[in-house]
Amino acid sequence: MSFLDRLMRRDLHSLAAPYALDALEPEERRRFERHLRGCVRCSAEVRALTEDAVRLAWSTAAPAPAVLRERVLAAVRTTPQDPAPQPSRARPAQSSSRARDDWQPARARAPRLRPLMAPLATATAAAALVVASLFAVQATQTRDELDRERAQAREIAHVLAAPDARATSERDAQGRGIGVVASASERRAVVTVSGLGTPSGGRVHQLWLMRPNENPLSLGLFDGDTPLVADDLSTRATSLAVTVEPHGGSAQPTTQPVVQLALESVGFGE
Amino acid sequence: MEADELLVLVAGGDQKAFEELYGLVSGPVFGLVRRVVRDPAQTEEVAQEVLLELWRSAARFDPGRGSALSWILTLAHRRAVDRVRSARAATEREQREGRRAHHPAFDQVAEEVEAGLEREWVRRCLDRLTSLQRQSVTLAYYDGYTYREVAERLSLPLGTVKTRMRDGLARLRECLGGAA
Ligand SMILES: [Zn+2]
Repeated sequence: MSFLDRLMRRDLHSLAAPYALDALEPEERRRFERHLRGCVRCSAEVRALTEDAVRLAWSTAAPAPAVLRERVLAAVRTTPQDPAPQPSRARPAQSSSRARDDWQPARARAPRLRPLMAPLATATAAAALVVASLFAVQATQTRDELDRERAQAREIAHVLAAPDARATSERDAQGRGIGVVASASERRAVVTVSGLGTPSGGRVHQLWLMRPNENPLSLGLFDGDTPLVADDLSTRATSLAVTVEPHGGSAQPTTQPVVQLALESVGFGE
Repeated sequence: MEADELLVLVAGGDQKAFEELYGLVSGPVFGLVRRVVRDPAQTEEVAQEVLLELWRSAARFDPGRGSALSWILTLAHRRAVDRVRSARAATEREQREGRRAHHPAFDQVAEEVEAGLEREWVRRCLDRLTSLQRQSVTLAYYDGYTYREVAERLSLPLGTVKTRMRDGLARLRECLGGAA
């Protein structure tokens, strides 16, 4: 299982209480329900927490008006009942039995979903690989680095938690890659690069946000393979680019991009 | 008969069993919907939908996953929350469009009257939570806000709200354990 998958799962695990309180947005609710089918821990937690939430319900009980009883009982006499649901296993098994299986059926059931709006879970595996490789490289020892990694993981988890989180990535023939996990609604993105190597002479890799009719905006300098978290992104942004710049970075790009990534598929650009 | 047994009979099309089930659960369903939806006309509408849905989809109840009562109240809560959220969205739309949203007065009085023992217990237990736990739980459950909205209202990070909700419910469980 890739780092991204693990991260997604860890983040989903934390949704049991909001779910029991009906405090998830519809898309998130669906995502968590898919997760529930495969997660014993969350199913048990949801069952317990739901019982707790129901205690809150009991305290609000109040006699229903008599007219309601008449209306409901009258309706019952003429309303047909739904048949019992099929056991969930009876579904024809078209999808493979990979670990991420529980993500797949939604795509199959919702053919009208535009690719543009494809949820993160269905985004390219390449993006997951980019993130995973980064964190594999980062088996670092120092306290500072560990703390930073943890903070980063939190930031990433935050972006992933957005209902509209999407991922995309690009890799060229020389193996230079760039990946992004972004939420247009939160205007945040986590950007990762791979295979860029270390520029010589103290130079650095700088990340730029490209917007129509505006100068590129610096989103910061990469420190090795550590992801950059970008906040407050303009939703009109069209792409990301990485250039090699002198030590300390530049106000505007001074070289051609080494890698570039369009943001349309993650919900940006109008 | 218990709700669980009744629900099984209802799933088989037993209208008498439904009447009995109605007697058991209409009060809790109606009260819960009213607490969340608040507007009297909409409360009746949603409560009616929920009670009728019990009839229609009784076969979907799975005793292995919890009690009938919690299944019923969970369903009622979800429908109430859905309604209050779309009502809120409509109000915001109207306000954005500069139209004036007119709301029927909230039915506060009726709410005060129903001070049962259970309510008193829950209130006491809620008082034992930290203020952030209590607000996180009640804004979500009684007022129908998403945890994102709760986080915004309380100016807390999302992760903190999720934790407060979980810890709040756990503490509530401890406290109410003795009240059953
Ligand atoms: Zn889980």
